[in-house]
Amino acid sequence: MNRRLLPLLLAATIAGAACSADGDAAAPVDGPASADRLTIALPEARGPLNLFAGSDEAVAELVYDKLLAPSPYVEEPRPWLATEVRFVDPTTWEADLRDDVVWHDGEPFTAEDVVFSIAYFAQAPTGRWTHHVSDVPTFDASLVDSDTVRFTCAFACPELGTVTLADLPIVPEHVWAQVPPEDAKEVRDLPVGTGPYRLVDFDPVTGYRFEANTGYFAGEPTVRELVMPVIEDPSATFTALRSGQIDAALAPVSPELIAEFSAPGSPVQLVRTAPFQFPELRLNFRNAPFDDPDFRRAISRAVDRAEMLDTVFLGQGRPADKGYPHPDAPFANPELSTPYDPDEARAILDGLGLVDIDGDGVREGPGGPLRYEILANGGQPIDMRAAELVAEDLSAVGVAATAVPLDAGTLAERSTERDFDLVIGTITAHGVADPTQFIMSHRSGYLWEHPEIPYPEFDALFRQWQASTTIEDRLAALDDIQAMFNDQPTSVPLYYPDEYYAFRPDRYAGWAESPGFGIVHKWSLLPADVVRGANAVVAGD
Amino acid sequence: MLGRSASKLLQYALVVWVAVTLNFALPHLAPGDPVDYLYGGDTGDLTPAQLEQIRAGYGLDASVPEQYLAFWTNLAGGDLGTSVALNRPVVDVLLERLPWTLALVGTGIVASTVLGTLLGALAAWRRGSRSAAALVSGVLVLDAMPSFWVGMILIAVFSVTLGWFPSYGATTIDATGAAWLAEVATRMALPVATITLATLGAFFLLTRAAMVTVLDEPFVRHAHAKGLTGRQVALGHALRTALLPVYTNITLAAGALLSGAVVVETVFAYPGLGRLIFEAVVVRDYPLLQGAFLLVTVGIIGANLVADLTYPLLDPRVRQGRAALT
Repeated sequence: MNRRLLPLLLAATIAGAACSADGDAAAPVDGPASADRLTIALPEARGPLNLFAGSDEAVAELVYDKLLAPSPYVEEPRPWLATEVRFVDPTTWEADLRDDVVWHDGEPFTAEDVVFSIAYFAQAPTGRWTHHVSDVPTFDASLVDSDTVRFTCAFACPELGTVTLADLPIVPEHVWAQVPPEDAKEVRDLPVGTGPYRLVDFDPVTGYRFEANTGYFAGEPTVRELVMPVIEDPSATFTALRSGQIDAALAPVSPELIAEFSAPGSPVQLVRTAPFQFPELRLNFRNAPFDDPDFRRAISRAVDRAEMLDTVFLGQGRPADKGYPHPDAPFANPELSTPYDPDEARAILDGLGLVDIDGDGVREGPGGPLRYEILANGGQPIDMRAAELVAEDLSAVGVAATAVPLDAGTLAERSTERDFDLVIGTITAHGVADPTQFIMSHRSGYLWEHPEIPYPEFDALFRQWQASTTIEDRLAALDDIQAMFNDQPTSVPLYYPDEYYAFRPDRYAGWAESPGFGIVHKWSLLPADVVRGANAVVAGD
Repeated sequence: MLGRSASKLLQYALVVWVAVTLNFALPHLAPGDPVDYLYGGDTGDLTPAQLEQIRAGYGLDASVPEQYLAFWTNLAGGDLGTSVALNRPVVDVLLERLPWTLALVGTGIVASTVLGTLLGALAAWRRGSRSAAALVSGVLVLDAMPSFWVGMILIAVFSVTLGWFPSYGATTIDATGAAWLAEVATRMALPVATITLATLGAFFLLTRAAMVTVLDEPFVRHAHAKGLTGRQVALGHALRTALLPVYTNITLAAGALLSGAVVVETVFAYPGLGRLIFEAVVVRDYPLLQGAFLLVTVGIIGANLVADLTYPLLDPRVRQGRAALT
């Protein structure tokens, strides 16, 4: 569906339980559609899935559910814990809830849990979901009756249904009410959710073990037990997969293994995905001359995205000529264009008075020659190569840059403290496919720091965005913000990569891509008709 | 003898005190506010009240002597602070990994010691023969191989091709009892073999060199003259004497045991201390690094103390020398 039809969708009621459809969206290859037990490698153990302390979302959502599914990264999230989500007026939404959902500990799921979750996320220490309840948007939840919850926003929130409620997991009041919100991060008990899997064992050394929730309201999971050992090293992960010690991996396949795994007779099979993430060149808008919109545009025009994709990622993906956010994001402005144009870059720099006075090939400005460091993770050869290519591109327009490898810790520290001019990083789905996070990133310091640092162009558009009361107007405001941002970007996408995920088809073949989540997620582990009804996966090619 | 041991203990206690004090001083010596070092997050956005609250939480609002006293008190109570990245007590995290490292690296050191020593003795005993030359060449080739490469070859052969051993982890989450023991043993086989092959060269060369020297000693000729068999001379007389430098090497290796084997633990995804320290460095988890360094330091000092105290038991010359001095 074209995103321009979304207003029609939202004008009507988002209704109905998941529709049923035959098909094989969740089973793109031949092989078993169910299994007793699967072993899936995780690249790290992030504790017992405490949502407030940080956890891998795809893994956490095996345990937790949301009012709508699968995520804000699809155009049409469908009711999940809700049976119906209604747009009442620009600042009010209502949700009717299912009455057949039970928490893993046997307690019934209630409307009070939903109201409690919204309030608790707002009170808990700042985390992944904080902005959804306390900034963009700001809203409260209240009971209408025992099966219905009303959401009231501080300003218009026409995307609350498709974005916020499709992103916020619901937690049980009877468990979390015992924990003061300020201590939420400290909890290390096994989680209690409503999801298709119960986490029955966690050990930092050996990983996770899940058992299927056979009474799951949407249908019994297709795999009875999941074991998830932690294998940090990618090489060790795919060796274990190749030798049949594990059945799938949460992490994408390293590019050099794709040919081997694609070869005829390989015991491993691949699923190609278009992930909502990309490598980016971040410009520090606090430092001159990167605080100048025209200078940032010149930098953007100087980067050869096609060469970047071909050289750094062996052509596996698309050149990043459509800017920020990800072009597949439901809210992305289809008109965006960020072409490689070194002549325009030179003209902009000339126009700014940044010219090469001494003839050494490097332009001079008020602060001296334009020489900068491009920080990158020295442990990631792909990032380093990208930094070197950016340096070459900038050199071609008279800006000297040097790729500087740093260890991951130093890089993170300097990024957090904004101690850089240019840095190579990767931005993931929440940042590039969630429209409210796109706004939030302008307020949090990631793309900008509004309103602390003046940004006149953004001010007017932000007010327009905030005042918009229909999804159509909001998308139009977002279009304008995206156009403005990409004309003076503080983040330059380098390429939109494809990713490949590997699994053993002889063990289980139900894997499918859910936008933004790779292939290891609950939608690969539920019956195909349920998954199709939830609009949760991309049909296999 | 007891007086000398007490003196040694005192010296080592002094070294431990210096090491622990340096550990305490690290956050204070690091550039900037110690709270930045310990908090691990971005303190730039915190309000002064929040910053004070965090400062009080770490006890940084007290005077330095008070903090120093509290540091020792906490240490005595087994409190090494909280890991910033893992949000767990540092002691818990270290204790979780310690047994795996002790088992892995300890077994590897024992195996490489036994194997390296026996092969070194054999090479010395048969010096000049083709088999001895082949043995020396083979061990030198092994010694020149990086441990990650040895590990990868072992995985390719014994895990991927033959399927005999798992290639990752220390055990599985649901193994119990005998199944757990079997898991631990099979998962330890390849990493232990890697450590053994990668480290036996030092023991081999040390033993061989010492044995070659010892074999020319008069007491060895005397043993032969008494009519003892070759095995009795080699194992009962020559090797026993040649083991002294090997013992020194063992204690040095044992000292480094607690720091784990980062490369081997990475290749085999083994949950040891070496890998933990590496991960703590990557995420700048200073409290965890402080705890790990303290553990490693104490381990090395302890191993040196053991070596110092036990060496006279093995070498009569040291005993006699000390007796002559007293």
